Amino acid sequence: MKKYFNTIVFAALILSTWSCSKDVEDVPLERYTEEYLWNTSDSLGNNASQFLVNIYNYTPNGFNRIGNDFLAAASDDAVSSALSVTSVQRMATGGITPFANPDNVWGNYYAGIRRATMFINNIDKVPLATKLPSGAPLKAAWKAEARFLRALFYFELVKRYGGVPIVGDEIRTLNDNVEIPRSSFAACIQYIVDECDLAKTDLRLDPVLDADAGRVTKGAAYALKARALLYAASPLYNGGNIQENSEYTGYSNYMVERWKLAADAAKEIMDLNSFQLLPNFKNVFITYPNREVIFARQGGNNTNVETTNGPIGYAGNSQGRTSPTQELVDSFGMLNGSTIADPAYDPTNPYKNRDPRLAATVLYNGAQWLNRTLETFEGGFAKPGGVIQQTKTGYYLRKFMGNFENANAYSNVNRNFILFRYAEVLLNYAEAQNEYLTSPNAEVRAAVELIRQRAGLNPYQLPVDLTKEQMREIIQNERRKELAFEEHRFWDIRRWKIAGNVYNKPLHGMLIQKGTSGVLSYQEVPVLTTVFTEPKMYFYPIPYDEVVKNSNMKQNPGW
Amino acid sequence: MKRIILVFHLIFVLLPGALLAQQRTVRGVVKDATGPLPGATILEKGLPTNGVAADMNGQFQLTLKGTSNTIIIKSVGFIEQERKVPADNTIDVVMQVNAQGLDEVVVVGFGVKERITNTGSVSAISGAEVRNVPTANVQNSLAGRLPGFVSQQRSGQPGRDASDFFIRGVSSLNAEGNRPLIIVDDIEYTYEQLSQINVNEIESISILKDASTTAIYGIKGANGVLVVRTRRGATGKPRVNVRVETGMQTPVRKLSFLDSYQSAMLVNEAIANDNTYLPADQRTSLPFADADLKLFQNGQDPYGHPNVNWYKEIFRPYSMQANTNIDISGGTESIKYFISGGALSQNGAIRDFSTSQSEVNSNYLFNRYNFRTNLDIQTTKTLSLRLDMTGRFGEINEPFAGNIVSEIYSFRRVNPYSAPVLNPDGSYAYARGFGIQDNLPTINARLATKGYNRRRQSDLNILVGGTQALDGITKGLSFTGRVAYASTWDVQRGLFRLDNPPSYLFNPETGAYRIKSGSSYTLGTFGLRAGNDRDNRTVNIQAYLNYDRTFGKHHIYSLALLNQNNAVSFSSTPSRFKGYSYKIGYDFEKKYIIDINVAYNGSDRFQAENRYGFFPAVGIGWNLAEESFIKDRFPIINLLKLRGSYGMVGSDRAPNDQYLYNQIYFNTSGYSFGEAHTGVGVIREGALGNNNVTWEKETKADIGLDMNLFSDKLSITVDYFNNRRFDQLVNRNSTSAILGVGLPAENLGIVRNRGWDGQISYINNIENVQYSINGVFSIAKNKVLFKDEPLQQYPWLTQTGHPINQPFGYTVIGFYQDENDIATSAKPNISSTQILPGDLKYKDLNGDDIIDENDMSAIGRPNLPNTTVGLTTGANYGGLSLSILFQGSFNYSLSVMGTGIEPFQSQFQPIHLERWTPENRDAKFPRLTQVSAASSPSAYPSDFWLVDAAYVRLKTVELGYQLPTDRLPIKLSNARLYLSAYNLVTWTNYNLYQQDPEVVSATAGDAYLNQRVVNLGLQIGF
Repeated sequence: MKKYFNTIVFAALILSTWSCSKDVEDVPLERYTEEYLWNTSDSLGNNASQFLVNIYNYTPNGFNRIGNDFLAAASDDAVSSALSVTSVQRMATGGITPFANPDNVWGNYYAGIRRATMFINNIDKVPLATKLPSGAPLKAAWKAEARFLRALFYFELVKRYGGVPIVGDEIRTLNDNVEIPRSSFAACIQYIVDECDLAKTDLRLDPVLDADAGRVTKGAAYALKARALLYAASPLYNGGNIQENSEYTGYSNYMVERWKLAADAAKEIMDLNSFQLLPNFKNVFITYPNREVIFARQGGNNTNVETTNGPIGYAGNSQGRTSPTQELVDSFGMLNGSTIADPAYDPTNPYKNRDPRLAATVLYNGAQWLNRTLETFEGGFAKPGGVIQQTKTGYYLRKFMGNFENANAYSNVNRNFILFRYAEVLLNYAEAQNEYLTSPNAEVRAAVELIRQRAGLNPYQLPVDLTKEQMREIIQNERRKELAFEEHRFWDIRRWKIAGNVYNKPLHGMLIQKGTSGVLSYQEVPVLTTVFTEPKMYFYPIPYDEVVKNSNMKQNPGW
Repeated sequence: MKRIILVFHLIFVLLPGALLAQQRTVRGVVKDATGPLPGATILEKGLPTNGVAADMNGQFQLTLKGTSNTIIIKSVGFIEQERKVPADNTIDVVMQVNAQGLDEVVVVGFGVKERITNTGSVSAISGAEVRNVPTANVQNSLAGRLPGFVSQQRSGQPGRDASDFFIRGVSSLNAEGNRPLIIVDDIEYTYEQLSQINVNEIESISILKDASTTAIYGIKGANGVLVVRTRRGATGKPRVNVRVETGMQTPVRKLSFLDSYQSAMLVNEAIANDNTYLPADQRTSLPFADADLKLFQNGQDPYGHPNVNWYKEIFRPYSMQANTNIDISGGTESIKYFISGGALSQNGAIRDFSTSQSEVNSNYLFNRYNFRTNLDIQTTKTLSLRLDMTGRFGEINEPFAGNIVSEIYSFRRVNPYSAPVLNPDGSYAYARGFGIQDNLPTINARLATKGYNRRRQSDLNILVGGTQALDGITKGLSFTGRVAYASTWDVQRGLFRLDNPPSYLFNPETGAYRIKSGSSYTLGTFGLRAGNDRDNRTVNIQAYLNYDRTFGKHHIYSLALLNQNNAVSFSSTPSRFKGYSYKIGYDFEKKYIIDINVAYNGSDRFQAENRYGFFPAVGIGWNLAEESFIKDRFPIINLLKLRGSYGMVGSDRAPNDQYLYNQIYFNTSGYSFGEAHTGVGVIREGALGNNNVTWEKETKADIGLDMNLFSDKLSITVDYFNNRRFDQLVNRNSTSAILGVGLPAENLGIVRNRGWDGQISYINNIENVQYSINGVFSIAKNKVLFKDEPLQQYPWLTQTGHPINQPFGYTVIGFYQDENDIATSAKPNISSTQILPGDLKYKDLNGDDIIDENDMSAIGRPNLPNTTVGLTTGANYGGLSLSILFQGSFNYSLSVMGTGIEPFQSQFQPIHLERWTPENRDAKFPRLTQVSAASSPSAYPSDFWLVDAAYVRLKTVELGYQLPTDRLPIKLSNARLYLSAYNLVTWTNYNLYQQDPEVVSATAGDAYLNQRVVNLGLQIGF
């Protein structure tokens, strides 16, 4: 026996480690699978709920969304202060190509659409028993939330690309054919409107309980429908199709009824009486609860907008990223409701007696900010010159920020990016109704006056004898002022088909020199010459990859 | 054993001759590089029956009978020598190892193979040949020495300077999928573990390149295999070897930047350039007035107008490294041992800025301690056990202040006029002035005060195994079992200050100091942090039956192997690999050879039903030299073997090592509801699962020729290979994003990789001077055959058909020379105002007058050389030896961007002086601009920036002197002094970049500078 001892020990050693028992798992068990998501025994639908919430992440977060700049900096409202050529500057100067588009959202929204459809298709597997305060089933509301979000994603695509492929309710997988052709613009609008109609019956009523603030509500579905119809009725699509026979870029003819549909859809929300304007314009973006907000991308408690866009030269190292243009500043008329052509305007003291929304939107030289008077004159602390990022126009952004005029430092601000608010609905209504009628009526005026009244104009009333064209001009300008930096202007100048005139010329800033006696002199100077090639730039190019990967994909005209 | 038989045989045959009458008696000692060599045969030339064998001390005595007065000295494994007998009748002979003899064995998977019966493609090198290369990593010492081995040393940082290496280039589109399998003593190692092996422990290194040698590794063999064997003890008295080395490291290429005056001039020029397209009222005034320029030039205001060469201030001219190794080996019939220990330290290139307040070592450094004990125990006549233990303890130190090379390059952080090194009162200054963005305290201030980050690495491996001879069952059969345990464990420790030290602006006019606004007057305390960086544990179990027997002229051998590997790392799902391999070979008189290898193995990366794969390979060989029609007619041919192999191997590396068959849903925090923003967890759908996922496969075909001529003095090996990697796990490129979800990798890609490699060596001696020349070449050209690419709009956009990682970019056709040129030429469609004379002008491939992505085509070559060569020459005379290795890499490209070269991102470099100006239209650099735009390598990659990076290097030089044994103090048996160098001289064909040619392309090129090492060593044995 002894002779074999070593052999046995050795063999035993080897065998002891060659065990067949499974002491560790051989697949990752910590991961969620579909069975967890659509748990057929969870009456609270916990995992399904988290899947739904994720779909909200695909909504646009407009604060410094494009390469750290506001989309507005690609319009005539602002320029980026960055020293290098930024993404928005490329957009503003005609730098969008099928290969490179800083606002390429194609993949993002189709991902959102897929997930919303997955939720709609599968939520019925979950035995969710909860009821809303109204007594309606929560499951139906959830489903309608997903349905609304999906419609919103389609709308975000349509305003950029025109008609896009509607993938419907099918969930495709690895080997399925996804070479889906584009649907017509008309079909896309119809789809969005139908989906909104479907969603609004089951959605929560406004206002919701505090804990649910931020969820999609009935009002959101109405508002999206109204906006979609307003866009569809607008000149770019309604009679102004840039390529006559293309069903992807608009309708083939003009129909005044489209304005009627848009006006009616806006009126529906107004008639809900769920929403109203907040008394103070400045606080619209930082107040909760807030009955003006219809739907917002949830943000958080932070100082992000202030540190990114606030004026430089203050403690806290704000970056001063956004430089509002002189064009935007000029669009804010006088306190008395007139334009800056009014004699009340003083070119040597240009920010006096202005529309109060100017001070709430833009920080200009002499404004009070963080307990100090802002200096954007040449050499002032907020415009010191040299190679650092600072305003290019003499203005900084003020909108969305907390009321830090008399604070020592920024503190966290509870802030969401508002996607739909009541003021827009009023303006949508006014615009559509004005276009539908031969001349504006009292309803049109009333809608606009509500906005002007809240803004603090005095007098806020409009003349009763305005022509349709004069009214249009007022509404368009009101829209620009009221909704600045909220991702409207960039699309409005396109749907109004005026982008060719708005772009292709220099944008200006205010060069302020402080004379030896301390007297300021003001001089408008060009800061950026924008480029817009008509008509192709009214639509984004379909991304190059999508064209080569999908044999049924048609590129937009001109690209 | 073999040797003893031979000696016995010789003595028996030659004895009668020795008894005859004598004329001259030659005496002498035969030695090899390490000492006396017993058993060599000494013959008289022209009288082959007259010979003797050297005794245990290498001494011999031969009486000459003929007239040639020449003796021939032979020993197995050494090169034959012919020597004239000198007048005093004494000869000391130093024998030179013959690495190319017929009986030479090469290490292959799970065993060794005689070179003559090997059918596969294997290149090997002994540890002794690279032991004295002064580098910390074994893979760095292999460049240019092994055909088929391609390496690039991407960084010179102590502890992180291991080269990337590949065997026969790359053939997978997966970055991870090209790494060779590393086998050390039959156990799988990681790249990192390999780089930490002490070269002193290595007996031999082989690379297995073709199917017949790699098939035994089956699913892990497709990228080739690097096999390392460590040294083991041999019967005999204890032999102690000590090596002590100390070396001096200097950067291969020193950085040079322009001084303040030149920089300021160029700043002014760039601003003036940019002003030309702005309206008059928007122009920026020039930042430097003539008075400033003058002060920069004459240096009269060193604090107000500093002029600092930061590279020189921060970096030392050289740094030291030291390496000490001790090993003891020996044994008896029942126990043999090899025990070794080593300590290596490499110091970093940064000067010491520590002060009494911060006595910390923030320099880069690397310390490593290795030990190894290899024991062989013969327990019974038939059972031998083996116990190997090896451990490594390493420590890498880095400044907390960040990547210092990157800091030195960055114009926004530092430039020559930004600050004095210290203020007159010794306080720290901070960077300011035109172009400085962060106003940070100077680099020396931050190095002195911000602390360090240290990574401690521990690595422990134990192997227990044994071989039981089973001759009782049938002769030649044995069973071997092994259990190997390997663990690595890394911990980070940081001693750091997040806050910057107080720094002041000194005003030379008033003598006042003003602290940097917002900074504190005092230095805060250090903070500590620690974290576990890596934790791997692997258990490898192997068991195999080996059979090897000769029946007359028939030789048959066979191996059946079970191999299982379990690995755990942190919380990730343990990975498991299981394999069964079988090998059978047969040769007839070593003339006709056939080898069949099959592996059946699986990995749990794949779905159960797709888990196991079958990998067969066959190799055949024909020794023509053994055929009489060659043997008789061409006696100079000692070996002429044709061999070929074909087979399939696999690679189970999946991108991100995911379980690709499994669709993932991630649970993350992500959204909030409620007025107060209550965070809500979300579940996100991850990439789709791919139920059919399986491993990558490669068919490898190899045809080789081995030839030895002139008594094995000339040896030639040439291989042609043609590999096809298919079923590569790549993401589908042709699926529209409309699908809305990420795609898993699928088995789609196909790449062909083919080429030549080989080696030609010649070894001979002229009298007492022995010399050798060894040339090595590797050519591997790959081509992507399929990557599921959609049909592109223009043919030049297609990536398929080009090599892996082919760069794409614009083709430069010169500079825009004037306004008219700009107006009439195609230009980029970004705001056209920014194109100015002196910008790079690109070729408009599609003729639409706009330079955009449609005009990008394949430019240059990938960053990995497809041709590498090495030439080693060596000579020995008496105790002197010299060995020189030239290594070259060709056919690859390199580009550098951002802080590496672009003005206002990089400090101004000498190349910027050669920029385009109206006076210098035939420039080497585009016009200077502050706006990184149409000429920038990052925005517009072009062939202007992509240079052919071919280089030739004097890679290693070793000059040694073996002290004469009789002069040594009594106990010493051996002493050798040597001077060795690494990366001594580099010839490269570009001067655009101040970069080592081996840095990674398309980066800022700010890796730690590759080092040249000059090293002095002493080796003693007793």
